[in-house]
Amino acid sequence: MVNALYLIVAALTAAFLLGFLNPARRSAAYTITLLALTFMSCVSASWVWEFAVNNAAPVDIFTAGTEPPFAINLRMGLHEAALTLLVNLTGLLSALYLKDALFALGRRGMAVLLVAVMALCGIILTRDIFNLFVFFELAVISTAGLMLFSDDSRALAAGFKYLIVSQVLSVFFLIGIIFAYHATGTLNIDGMAEASLGMKTGGSIAFFMLFIAVVAELKPFPANGWALDIYESAHPAFAAIFSAATGAAAIYATDKLLLIGGAEWLPISTGIGIVTFLAANLLALPQTNDRRLLAYSSIAQTGLILAVLGQRDILGDSAPFIAGGLLFSHAIAKAGLYWLSGLIAGRELADWAILRSRPLLIFAFVTFIAMLSGLPPFPGFYAKWELVHMLAGEGRLALLAFILIGALIEAAYLFRWFGYIIKREQTDQTIACTPFQITPILAAVVGGWALGLVWGDLSASHFGQSNLLLALPLLFALSFLLLDWLPAWVKNTLAIAGMVAFFTLTYAEYDPLRLIFAIIFLIGGAIIFLASYDAHGRRIGFYPAAMLMYAGLTMLIRATDTFGFFAAWELLTLGSYFLILRGKRSEPHALSYVIFSLGGAFLILAGFALAAQGAPQFDLTSLSQLTQPLAPWVFLLLAIGFMTKTAAIGLHIWLPGAHSEAETDVSPMVSGILLKAGLFGLMVLLMSMGKQQLYGVELTHVLLWIGALSALLGNLMAIFEEDAKRLLAYSSIGQMGYALFGLALMNHLGWLMALMFVINHYIYKSMLFLSAGGVAKRTGTRDMYKMGGLITLMPLSFIATLIGIIAVSGVPPLSGFGGRWIFYNAILTTDYRLPMIIIFFAGPIAFLYLFRLIHTIFLGQLKDEHRKLKEAPFWIILPQMIFVALLMIFAMFPGLALRRVDTYLNQFFPEGGLSWAGNTITSSYGYWNPIAIMIIVCVIFGTLFAWLLFVNRRAQKVKQFNIVFSAERPFRPETTHYAWNFFAPYRKALGFLVQPFATRFWGTLTDLLHTTADLTRRLYDGNGQSYVFHLFAFIVVVYLMRIGV
Amino acid sequence: MIYMAMATGFLLILIGFYGALTNRNLLRMIVAFTLANTGVNIVIVAIGYMHGRTAPILDAAVTASAAAARIIDPVPQALVLTAIVIGLGVTALMLAYAYKLYERKGTLDIAQYTDLKW
Repeated sequence: MVNALYLIVAALTAAFLLGFLNPARRSAAYTITLLALTFMSCVSASWVWEFAVNNAAPVDIFTAGTEPPFAINLRMGLHEAALTLLVNLTGLLSALYLKDALFALGRRGMAVLLVAVMALCGIILTRDIFNLFVFFELAVISTAGLMLFSDDSRALAAGFKYLIVSQVLSVFFLIGIIFAYHATGTLNIDGMAEASLGMKTGGSIAFFMLFIAVVAELKPFPANGWALDIYESAHPAFAAIFSAATGAAAIYATDKLLLIGGAEWLPISTGIGIVTFLAANLLALPQTNDRRLLAYSSIAQTGLILAVLGQRDILGDSAPFIAGGLLFSHAIAKAGLYWLSGLIAGRELADWAILRSRPLLIFAFVTFIAMLSGLPPFPGFYAKWELVHMLAGEGRLALLAFILIGALIEAAYLFRWFGYIIKREQTDQTIACTPFQITPILAAVVGGWALGLVWGDLSASHFGQSNLLLALPLLFALSFLLLDWLPAWVKNTLAIAGMVAFFTLTYAEYDPLRLIFAIIFLIGGAIIFLASYDAHGRRIGFYPAAMLMYAGLTMLIRATDTFGFFAAWELLTLGSYFLILRGKRSEPHALSYVIFSLGGAFLILAGFALAAQGAPQFDLTSLSQLTQPLAPWVFLLLAIGFMTKTAAIGLHIWLPGAHSEAETDVSPMVSGILLKAGLFGLMVLLMSMGKQQLYGVELTHVLLWIGALSALLGNLMAIFEEDAKRLLAYSSIGQMGYALFGLALMNHLGWLMALMFVINHYIYKSMLFLSAGGVAKRTGTRDMYKMGGLITLMPLSFIATLIGIIAVSGVPPLSGFGGRWIFYNAILTTDYRLPMIIIFFAGPIAFLYLFRLIHTIFLGQLKDEHRKLKEAPFWIILPQMIFVALLMIFAMFPGLALRRVDTYLNQFFPEGGLSWAGNTITSSYGYWNPIAIMIIVCVIFGTLFAWLLFVNRRAQKVKQFNIVFSAERPFRPETTHYAWNFFAPYRKALGFLVQPFATRFWGTLTDLLHTTADLTRRLYDGNGQSYVFHLFAFIVVVYLMRIGV
Repeated sequence: MIYMAMATGFLLILIGFYGALTNRNLLRMIVAFTLANTGVNIVIVAIGYMHGRTAPILDAAVTASAAAARIIDPVPQALVLTAIVIGLGVTALMLAYAYKLYERKGTLDIAQYTDLKW
């Protein structure tokens, strides 16, 4: 192995060598720089290999041949090797990226870069406190030097502000060192730790000064204005080093220092860390400058890692896994994002829309923000999972809550940014970049995915979780990234084939309940994909997103433990977010969807963590063994989490926009299929945990109310909609309310009804969304009052809609009636009167809006501009016709799907099952024979229809305007077809119920956050002296909190 | 004597901080910091000082075998030397920065350099 000292030797030699070169020989100088950095990276990499694969023991390097405390020693262990690798690689890649700037500055600039990297390696390697100080000062000087690389003239002022702050810190550092030396007689960090510095006279003050000097390098709130300015104005390649490498080195220095301080200093570290994490994320919210936003995010991530370091007392051996996962995710992502920012000319977030001209860079961006948000399959995800579990296990719930809140805010602004990239106007110029700039970015992407694999492996071997990147559905979804150059129809065929094949291979593994969901997710998804054949071109980005969602859904029903379930939940959330975002005007709706979903996911995570009580692995079935007082809280967290997906009332505001603005074939996916994930979660929850009481309140009873209110209000909001797809979306809220109500009844029939709703809602909502989408595609509008009389032009769409609304409204003979029949039986068996009455009311309201789909779109008067319309495209009609057939079959033979489930449910609810004899289904209140009903209805309908044809055979055809009313002869279709604001009288009577209370509530909350952030960030007034003042304020507060008056 | 030196050192540090916080002129701030640095050096030396001992130089007067009992601790002095060198480097860099800043805006008032904020 190469002695680690060569990391420092190589950099210094190269830097001196550069001094001897002829200044004009820039290429030679550049080559030397790159060679030195490559050599250093190789040394670190070989050490990483040695420790990680060969399990070598850490090596101490004694300078001057003497052991400490008489000489400085450096240490190379796994952590040091990994961190120096990060530093050296960041340096090397940034040097590539900086090629032009380095050529312009010449050999001196290169020497400063080498010294910077060397200093950071030194900070990581050294075990001597004074040596640490020297390397810190070297880092400061080289940082100030590298600031001059920037084209931004403001960088000068930023560098000076940094120097001022570092002068103050160096005073504290030196005084701390000399007093610590005085107390312990050594400068060696381990020696000081052994001598327990804190116990000596004046020792805690000495340590306090050391602590301040090092922690301030982590940019704690509020003493971080200088860092923000550096990040914003530095050359992006240097900002990458400053964020990834300097940050990592400072964190490791703090880690070493905490060895000396001992356990008493851990709480204050956590405090500083979490306050910084929350404050920086909050202050990032109103940012519009990309680099400053990244600066806030960097500071926040560093704060989070500091908080983790402060939890070392409970994290124990897992601390490196967690802190490392967070640190490497942050470092790679942040370096990548800063490198990306160098390719963008404008500094506004919306200027990044230019990335759209390079799908590869979009993929890079997605990788980076997923890493920062701690989404699977990246290291941050595994780290977050373990962290939250350990915190919950030790009862540190406040910290857990703060971490999740901060993470949610961070995800919110990152995904908002992504929305800008995908949706904001793109100026027509393309990105000009050299291979030297692209290589680092791609290397970061590769590094991120590779670390995802490593952390998955670590998590599998240490905690018994599964490595997500080895899960077949996810791999299949990711393979579409590589296939994205293929034409859409090829990818569509592959997707359908893959889903059907996966189902055929695995269908025997599911229990009857899961089988229903598996059929809907995999086979149902494949049917909806038929509509996607209508799309032309390559449809970049559609298939990876859609397949990610289906992979998540598949993994969700296959999950056996909470980890698998949660990972699947996050994957499907992410995939569906990308899908929803594809709609033309869906930017705000996709954002609110992803925020609600991630918020819900965090609640689920907290619930699972609380349930596991620190156990790294927890089976979903073990949820049933939870006891008071924990159980109801777990139930509450999980239920709210799942209800964000089913859009229960109050949490529903994302749904109408998200579902209606989505593309024609995406709406049925996210409505017909995705909503079922929430129901599946609720089923798993209720099945294992059953009834729970919190402060004497029966929680299922609360769910019952929520279900009833969702049904009533969802339906009510639907009747006032003019937009066909929004109407259908609101209707989904109502339908999910029914299903929730059925589940919350907690009896056999209630559950059967909920399952009936799961199947029915999938079929008819997919069908209706497709026909509404097909009509919208032809007419160019979704406003129903602008249509009319389309029945003759689009007969197949009409048939699908007609069948659909018959099914939804629950009248015989279609399957909706079956649902209603079971439903009425179910509520007769319970004694919750009031919610029952509410949900009864919701039924007729559904008629009001459903009828409009037929009346307004297909009946009435044809508009002039629509006279030449054609039927919707074949591929959009085909799945609708399949759904019509499915509805008919399911209506006549509900037993096909429900019989086995009915038997299966007996083990949970032995009472009140149905008896299935022949074609007749009997409950304790009566019987239902679907085939007989179908025959009777068909006979009556057929007779009436024949009679109508008979009496109408001589009727005269009336032309469109061959009528007179109110003594006027109408001449425009609009005047004969009343459809706009159709239910105005009802709005007058019931409008108070559909006031956007929930929207207003969430809107006020976000406004409040934004205003707070906007006011607080004025703290950073840009004056270097104010920043020093903040630093002193920080020092005083830490002193008062830790040492006291 | 030791306490006098130490008190002087701390006083210099405080004067330095006070000066850096109250003077808006870049050059005055730099001078203030050099004052503080000097104070730090005095404190370090004062702490390393042991009453009645001689300088840590091994020669005819102090032999290696007797050194442990007769000389003061050389480590703080070594630290001071390093700290002085580093202080010099940082001060030079700050002066260069001040010069560049002046070139850009024609003022040495730090309150004028607030383009980056919020």
